[in-house]
Amino acid sequence: MDCPYIPELSYSQFGENLLNRIAGKRVPLSGSLELTFRCNLRCQHCYVSYGHNGIPGQQELSASEIQRIIDEVVDAGCLWFLITGGEPLVRRDFLDIYAYAKRKGLIVSLFTNGTLITPRIADYLAEWPPFRVEITLYGATQETYERVTGIPGSYARCMRGIELLLERGLPLRLKTILMTLNQHELHDMQAFADSLGVDFRYDPMINAGLDGEGKPKSLRVPPEDIVQLDLEDRRRAEELQSLIQRTKGYKIHGDNLYACGAGQRSFHIDPYGQLCLCMMVRYASYDLRNGPFQVGWREFFPQVLSQTIDGNYACQQCELRPLCGQCPGWSFIEHGETQKPVDYLCRIAHLRFESLELLEKM
Amino acid sequence: MAQLDYFYQKDPDMVSREIAGEVILVPIRRNVGDLESVYTLNETAALAWTLFDGSHSVNQIQDQILSEYEVDENEAERDLIELIQQLEEIGAIARV
Repeated sequence: MDCPYIPELSYSQFGENLLNRIAGKRVPLSGSLELTFRCNLRCQHCYVSYGHNGIPGQQELSASEIQRIIDEVVDAGCLWFLITGGEPLVRRDFLDIYAYAKRKGLIVSLFTNGTLITPRIADYLAEWPPFRVEITLYGATQETYERVTGIPGSYARCMRGIELLLERGLPLRLKTILMTLNQHELHDMQAFADSLGVDFRYDPMINAGLDGEGKPKSLRVPPEDIVQLDLEDRRRAEELQSLIQRTKGYKIHGDNLYACGAGQRSFHIDPYGQLCLCMMVRYASYDLRNGPFQVGWREFFPQVLSQTIDGNYACQQCELRPLCGQCPGWSFIEHGETQKPVDYLCRIAHLRFESLELLEKM
Repeated sequence: MAQLDYFYQKDPDMVSREIAGEVILVPIRRNVGDLESVYTLNETAALAWTLFDGSHSVNQIQDQILSEYEVDENEAERDLIELIQQLEEIGAIARV
């Protein structure tokens, strides 16, 4: 799974300026909210492994609870806010929640599978435009798409959703989660996005289910194929090469377990009101039903962030960390503990380094 | 161009936020501002923004700025008129 935080900050000088200004301070600039774990699709790779009705016995946040939480994150300084799922549009009160976030001055992005977008929803989004809508494609053909989603007719509905957004000039991006079931159609998905004039990206990093369920892992694209795709895409290869050059001799200072911006400038909230550092780190969470966001941000997060490595964590001093997705969240989902290398990520990072170094020398 | 006896009102579809000490304007609805943009206000502009409430004239807003900041009167007026023009252009305020 991609880390969804911060990247949009580069969209403007404003974001960069703001980041410079708050350097060193913890401000919850960017947050994400899973409105629900429920989904109308049955994707084979899905990390929401609790079943398609969410976690049994748990009650999703109500719209009024979400509004109260939005008030709190706005007061705390949140500006960029991602609404995701599950599939957020399965909630009947989606538009109420979306509109509330917009009216509070949040810059709202929406991640959706696109299949539940109706003319009414598209009209509403056009009137109250999101910063960005990202729709995940699961294949370039109906056959592949529906093989992944398990729902007949879902491909056509997704295409219709895309059309409805584009007709209204909404800021759409397409993406895919790359897996063995659809990797053969990557180039066709890219070509489809190009034909529509919208950006496209892919994420080949499939993590295990949130409860450790291993099925999604069986769909992982082999590391060799991932690196081959890196090499075939000139821009991607150049970016990775540049990253290698910039981070030569990379070293994490100190013994903090968390070395990213999660909990420093960003946060995540699950459908049941659990506040966590990010989408990947869910083993430690603060219940927003029992306490305000500010307490979670000011008191609970620093406790989580103060965790240190135990001395045997092989990844801590690895120079390839910038090329690798390894983090405590990935480790926990993969192994049930925070400091164990994820072999898949490790192999990709090493292969990337070797291949791109080789390319550099040619 | 704005005159000193004009009154202005904020558009409800432009939301002001204070983030890390900076006041910014976020357009939230079609036809208000450039939705790809966020507008930042300096200190005096942020003060003026709070006073575009339909009941303070431009003159009164200018007086308020002069009482709170050490700025030259002519410069303050020029800046305020320019700010009003910019905010009108992006639909953030309208004359009442």
